[in-house]
Amino acid sequence: MTNPTDLELIDRWRHEPAPLLPILHAFHDRDGYLSEEAIRTVADELRIPAADLFGTVTFYHHFSRSAPGQSAPRVCTGPICRLHGAETMLSDLQDQGATPMPCSGRCDVPIPVLKGHTTLSGLTAESLTPSRSPLPDPNPAGQVECVFAHIREPDRTSLAGYERTGGYEALTKAVKTLTPEAVIDMVDRSGLAGRGGAGFPTGRKWHYVRTAPGDPKTVVCNADEGEPGCFKDRTIMDYDPHGLIEGMVIAGYATGATRGFIYLRYEYPETELVLTQALAAAEAAGFVGDHILGSDFSFNLYIRRGAGAYICGEETSLLNSLEGKHPFPRNRPPYPTTNGFEDLPTVVNNVETLASVAPIVRHGADWYQSLGLGDHAGTKIISLSGDVRRPGNYEVPIGLPLQTLINDWAGGPLSGRTVQAVTMAGLSGGFLAGDDLNITLDDPTIRQKGSYLGAGGIMVFDDSRSMIEVAHDAMEFFAHESCGKCFPCRIGTTRLTERLNGEAKNLTHDQWLIEVEDLGRTMKETSACGLGQAAPLVTESLVRYFGDEVRKYVENSS
Amino acid sequence: MNQNGHHPKQKTIILNGREVAFFEGETVYEVAQRNQQDIPTLCYDDRLEPFGGCRLCVVDVEGMRNPVASCTFQATPGLVVNTHTERIETHRKTLLEMVVSENRELEVDPLRGYASQELTDLVSLYEAQTGRFQGSQSGTTNTEDDNPFIFRDYDLCISCYRCVRVCAEEEGDYAISIMNRGFETQITTEFNGLLKDSACTFCGQCVQTCPTGALGDLKAMRAASIPLPIAKTRTICPYCGVGCSVDVLTKGDQIVGIHPAMDGPANEGALCIKGQFAFDFVQHGDRLKTPLIRGEDGRFHPASWDEALDRAADGFQKVEEQYGRHAVYGVASGRAPHEAAYTMQKFIRAGYGTHNIDNCSRA
Ligand SMILES: Cc1cc2nc3c(=O)[nH]c(=O)nc-3n(C[C@H](O)[C@H](O)[C@H](O)COP(=O)(O)O)c2cc1C
Ligand code: SF4
Ligand code: SF4
Ligand code: SF4
Ligand code: FES
Repeated sequence: MTNPTDLELIDRWRHEPAPLLPILHAFHDRDGYLSEEAIRTVADELRIPAADLFGTVTFYHHFSRSAPGQSAPRVCTGPICRLHGAETMLSDLQDQGATPMPCSGRCDVPIPVLKGHTTLSGLTAESLTPSRSPLPDPNPAGQVECVFAHIREPDRTSLAGYERTGGYEALTKAVKTLTPEAVIDMVDRSGLAGRGGAGFPTGRKWHYVRTAPGDPKTVVCNADEGEPGCFKDRTIMDYDPHGLIEGMVIAGYATGATRGFIYLRYEYPETELVLTQALAAAEAAGFVGDHILGSDFSFNLYIRRGAGAYICGEETSLLNSLEGKHPFPRNRPPYPTTNGFEDLPTVVNNVETLASVAPIVRHGADWYQSLGLGDHAGTKIISLSGDVRRPGNYEVPIGLPLQTLINDWAGGPLSGRTVQAVTMAGLSGGFLAGDDLNITLDDPTIRQKGSYLGAGGIMVFDDSRSMIEVAHDAMEFFAHESCGKCFPCRIGTTRLTERLNGEAKNLTHDQWLIEVEDLGRTMKETSACGLGQAAPLVTESLVRYFGDEVRKYVENSS
Repeated sequence: MNQNGHHPKQKTIILNGREVAFFEGETVYEVAQRNQQDIPTLCYDDRLEPFGGCRLCVVDVEGMRNPVASCTFQATPGLVVNTHTERIETHRKTLLEMVVSENRELEVDPLRGYASQELTDLVSLYEAQTGRFQGSQSGTTNTEDDNPFIFRDYDLCISCYRCVRVCAEEEGDYAISIMNRGFETQITTEFNGLLKDSACTFCGQCVQTCPTGALGDLKAMRAASIPLPIAKTRTICPYCGVGCSVDVLTKGDQIVGIHPAMDGPANEGALCIKGQFAFDFVQHGDRLKTPLIRGEDGRFHPASWDEALDRAADGFQKVEEQYGRHAVYGVASGRAPHEAAYTMQKFIRAGYGTHNIDNCSRA
């Protein structure tokens, strides 16, 4: 088989929407890296200035610009993998050209190593084997689930397997019996709110898009899942791809959108395959495409792969990335609901949010609402990892006590250990520790503690861990991922990392505290997007819960 | 008109306690500017799309938890805005201290560029040079870039991207862009090569909008050591028919540099390579200082002005007598001063009664 030519690679995509990323991936896969010649050719053909395309390529962590490039091992050095010896793994694979990568969303099977389109995992370089993403255990408390209700059914990824337990019934019900407004009303009344981090009410978002002027409208599924300690979207897509697709088509019907994108993070190559096959089956069965179920509603769906940038999970950065622009976040307002993909009205929803839609439409708003505890509506998938016996994804009723999740559901800390701290929202919510571990898992409660539930990543650190080191690694992640658009975050994440890296810059304890607080306050209140606003929660909570350790650390390092 | 002097239907906001009107689409920053409320900025250039990077322009808006960037935030009726609260001023000082901490130095010669003092001035205003937040420095100098016009000293860069944006939005050249991300961000050309191998036309606009002197005007910087004040004289660039306004910078009676006039009606701060950089000929050693007349031997010989003018008048007269007044055609030089060009056309029009007058810069 001969290699495709440059023009063949480009022609395959250039007439599809959002062609830049797939074209760059095609060259990256063919050549193993993005050569100067390749970038020039793509720039010429797509009429992008060469300097712009070059700059944008350098933004993405996973695009190599020299050999060994695409196939060289990338070792996850995220917070959990570091606990398991990721740095040793990295140096053991040095002779193969290994490079580190931030959390790649497999905290439940450490240590993942990405090689080309394959994810290996193992605790040592010798034991690395290709690994599938784990299926969630049956719900430990026998709770009624929404997203995971049928995920453990065999053959769930095939159309037949999906349809066996009511798959695509919700779409059929919506298209044949409900008006778009009725669907929106149902989602609104269910209490479903965004599961990607910000928690915005989904029904209201859809309503804004439905009533916004401008066509065509777009549904974007945010499958970038870059938050360290989050790996729930991967599980949903790997085992229930049709659940996501059905949710997206319903979102299209409700909002009047005629096209959709799944923006999938680079680190999930196997997932791309699962989604591609499911999409082809759904298209063949008439659930996606023109005149869905014989109606006059049409919806086309495209899968696009990111290239390694946490900020591309931020919805406006994601839209710029899809459009082939430099992926800085946009200024808001205006919001994507009116000025999204190609400046037209756009729904951006998380995978879990969209995967909740079909069950809601099937079983009704009241059913979903009632899944939460007390006044809280619905369920949330928590990616639990770190120092617990049974890390993994758990679908919890909103309002479940954190201690119940850790101790009863996940088996508690390892023997002889106690839980020292947990993170919230992956890393973005900072730490909770001490008495604040006695919270319930719902946003009002967690926000009272100065944190938030976010995408639901919770990492557990027991009493054998240095929280200064954990905080340092967390801040280093934010510094690595800061896009560089705004001053407070670009400079602040680096300054905070430096204040945690053992050098402490000859500051007295008091000076250290004041500098860290001043940096944090200005980052929190003036940063242009959620990354810079959230990063200082790490230092803020470190100082709050671990004041003594901080004092000792500063005094020893200056 | 109501008591504040607004038409009753005019939409207003409350700016620092005073009701002021705004136009549809205006940002809070623009409204504040019009009302003489000075808001500090570093990434702002009123010719460019607002970017929202430096965050110095943040203001308090009633009902919003966090301050908002006034440069990107549009005014809406009834907005209550405060531009200089204590918390806002503290943020500004902290932001400036952070920026100071990432650079090698702060003081740069004003000859580096039109906006080169913006950062220094703000740092003095906010007394922000405190030595706080020390740590690694950002940016990698590219002073080896081999070109006679633009100094690239990215140790002083603060990643405001005004250079990149002016090149794209005003010049339309897209010669420079942003490489890497976060603290590793770097201004680059395609494949990080030299400016002369890029799409750059050396218009100098990036230099003139740079607020730190990270980009410097190499021609002007030659005169940095002359211990005289810089004087500015407003004129029009003589090179072509566009008529760009410029400020000629002089030290004593030496021309040391050119600034584009930001309020020039034809150019709004833009120039081309010639208007920006090509002024050396004025004081060039090769310039003629006395008239020369070609002698019988075919060579030039120094002559007095009277001799030279007589000789020229003689030649003109012969042409006119022999072929008529329309046989005379004058072409003034783009490198001559405007006064000379004016005199020249007067000479041709009034003296010969013909419209055969042109200028080499009419191209
Ligand atoms: C730095 C940053 C990273 C983000 N990453 C993700 C992500 O990986 N996945 C996601 O769904 N949302 C992410 N978000 C939130 C999105 O901006 C957006 O709120 C979300 O996709 C909306 O979908 P939802 O309403 O269904 O949650 C991120 C936000 C920020 C500020
Ligand atoms: S907060 Fe950070 S990630 Fe967000 S725009 Fe600013 S620099 Fe970029
Ligand atoms: S001199 Fe002009 S063309 Fe060259 S980089 Fe600067 S703005 Fe762009
Ligand atoms: S070189 Fe100057 S204008 Fe360009 S980003 Fe740096 S500081 Fe801003
Ligand atoms: S002027 Fe508004 S952020 Fe720089």
